[in-house]
Amino acid sequence: MKTNKNQLRRVLDSKPVSYIFALGVFVLFAILIVSRQLRPFQLSAIEPYWGNIQSGFLNTIWVSFIALVGSLVLGFIFYLLTQSKLKFFKAFTDVFTEIIYGTPLLVMIMIMAFVVGPALGTFNRTATGTLGLIIYITPYMTNIFKSTFGSISEEQYMAMDLFGFSGYQRYRYIIIPQVVRMLMPPLMNNFSLIIKGSALLNVITYRELFYEITQMTNNNFRFVEGFLLMWGLYLIITIPLSQFTKYIDRRYGL
Amino acid sequence: MKIELKNVSHTYDVEVLHQLNLVLEKYNAVALLGVSGSGKSTLIRLMAGLEKPTSGEIFVNDYDVIHDEDYKKHVGFVFQSHNLFPHLTLKRNISLILEKTRGFSLEQANQIAEDNLKLLKLDDQMDKIPKNVSGGQAQRASIARALSLNPDIIFLDEPTASLDPILTDEVLKAIEELRELGKDFVLVTHVISFVKDFANYVVFMENGHIIEQGTPKILDAPKTNELKAFMKKVR
Ligand SMILES: Nc1ncnc2c1ncn2[C@@H]1O[C@H](COP(=O)(O)OP(=O)(O)O)[C@@H](O)[C@H]1O
Ligand SMILES: [Mg+2]
Repeated sequence: MKTNKNQLRRVLDSKPVSYIFALGVFVLFAILIVSRQLRPFQLSAIEPYWGNIQSGFLNTIWVSFIALVGSLVLGFIFYLLTQSKLKFFKAFTDVFTEIIYGTPLLVMIMIMAFVVGPALGTFNRTATGTLGLIIYITPYMTNIFKSTFGSISEEQYMAMDLFGFSGYQRYRYIIIPQVVRMLMPPLMNNFSLIIKGSALLNVITYRELFYEITQMTNNNFRFVEGFLLMWGLYLIITIPLSQFTKYIDRRYGL
Repeated sequence: MKIELKNVSHTYDVEVLHQLNLVLEKYNAVALLGVSGSGKSTLIRLMAGLEKPTSGEIFVNDYDVIHDEDYKKHVGFVFQSHNLFPHLTLKRNISLILEKTRGFSLEQANQIAEDNLKLLKLDDQMDKIPKNVSGGQAQRASIARALSLNPDIIFLDEPTASLDPILTDEVLKAIEELRELGKDFVLVTHVISFVKDFANYVVFMENGHIIEQGTPKILDAPKTNELKAFMKKVR
């Protein structure tokens, strides 16, 4: 009898069961919130807009991917500048970083699309707004380059030198493989940051997920269904991404 | 082995080694002693050719350490923290060097790596990366790495400083057994009993100066106040 009780307790207190319970709390909360709405919950009301929502979803992923690649490249260039012997370049990246850290993403997108873009003669707000997102993420990318390259110790370089590796061999076999492994988790965290940030591109009428769903709710007033669906769709990308990040870190972390 | 230092000084932000002179012949296991910060690591790195002194000359076994690039191929170095490449298995940590810088085929390189890892009793650990083995095993792998390159001299800079007493014993035993290989050793360590067993010459440093030197007997009958104070501290 007693062992049975202990066994039950062990199962209930185990990690998977605890996570199922925790998840249950949030599902219950969602059901409660839905059930307290004045209008009955009707997912079918969304159906006519499904095509738009799908394309919005894909546009979110697409623009986030562009921003990921763009900020990665720009972040790497800025990292190289911080390593320069010329003090101006380091000062330049420091000032840039401070400005970005002090700026809300929404403001950055507006400034790029409505102020900087027109001044440079372009009214393509999708391009300039996306550039705003890229620029906003760049210092975070520069930081992860700094910390990954910085974590290869002085002694490792001494060892490479002692063993007689050529410059190419050092990068090919020792530096790059370590950097790639260490870079992946923070890079994917930044990707998540970008996906969430991309929702703000709706202000420049870029037809991503947030934009498409608010368009729908403005037409059919299905706010509950629309916003819950939107929320779910963001989580469908971001949660697996963060789980995958953790897995990568466990499996390949150094 | 032969070691000769001529007016060796070294400066980082300030001068940390001051005009060192030393002539050693016929000893095959030399220990550098001194409190932390006295310049032992700096000196052993200079002797191994990992860094170049600000001024002075260094000769080891008739190699001009500072100018002869070939010298490094005859040197093994074991760092305080194992300093294995963290993304490579213990075996690959060794075979990569043999394959890419010593002209061995991959098969030969793997064979040599395995032989040396076995010599240090790491038979069942060689396909793991450093973070998945104990500190003592990683340090032994690092010794195996140094050995695999078939050096004339093996330099060890506090190889046990980051290990607990049990792992320290494990690593020191491994080093002890290497004596039979007929290599020369220069090592920094704080384990005095090991110095007495293992070394046949001792160089005691303080504040970047060589204060006292001789056979390990000087540890039992120190002449200078500095060494007397040091021996009290380590005991
Ligand atoms: N890479 C370095 N850059 C600047 N100072 C250093 C460096 N390495 C050692 N030092 C300084 O040189 C002195 C001697 O250090 P070290 O040779 O490491 O002594 P030990 O190995 O005896 O503890 C210390 O004051 C230390 O702070
Ligand atoms: Mg030291």
